[in-house]
Amino acid sequence: MIRVQREDIDVDAVLGSVKTSGSGCVVGFLGTVRETSEGRAVERMSVEVYEEMAERQLSTIRDEAVERFGVHQVSVVHRIGDLDVGDSIVYIAVSSGHRDEAFEACRYVIDELKERVPLWKKEYTSDGEVWVEGERRE
Amino acid sequence: MNLRIHVKYFASFRDITGRREEVMEVPDGVTVEGLREHVKGLYERMAGRDQVLVAVNGVFASLETVVEEGDEVAFFPPVSGG
Repeated sequence: MIRVQREDIDVDAVLGSVKTSGSGCVVGFLGTVRETSEGRAVERMSVEVYEEMAERQLSTIRDEAVERFGVHQVSVVHRIGDLDVGDSIVYIAVSSGHRDEAFEACRYVIDELKERVPLWKKEYTSDGEVWVEGERRE
Repeated sequence: MNLRIHVKYFASFRDITGRREEVMEVPDGVTVEGLREHVKGLYERMAGRDQVLVAVNGVFASLETVVEEGDEVAFFPPVSGG
């Protein structure tokens, strides 16, 4: 399951989407909206996407994770639109035979997502609106 | 000969340019690097940006990529999802 959506994330459904009878574990990562950012109080957030590119990039990263780490299934759901403090932003689930490769693959997916998937956060803080911009990747 | 391409801007670049997209006429044979310089020339506040990422038809493009008629070219700052 690879999805970019406005609705909240049904974590159980995403977990269920990666389970296979050959798997011995599922590792999940949930990213949430933090109440502070670089010392500023965050009131809420919005997330913008280049939709046609984002889903394709996520699929590519999933395929890389399966290939590199030999995991069974990978699902990624990322939210867009308006979010409040504490809301879920992204959920990643990885199933595999054993836990080591599942943890590594899950880490790989979130790290690559933060560099390569065209999504941008805007934070509404005590000092006004701020676009968050990540590290470069050309 | 000129080409017509579809240009899109995201996040802070959408704010800078004041638009989500525009149709642009560019010279035949222009590269991604050339197009990026052209866009920086059009929008002063983009010129000062170190990191102007470019995707052509939804894929990150190298600076040498030659842009073709009808391409969708997106300009955006470093991503910040997750």
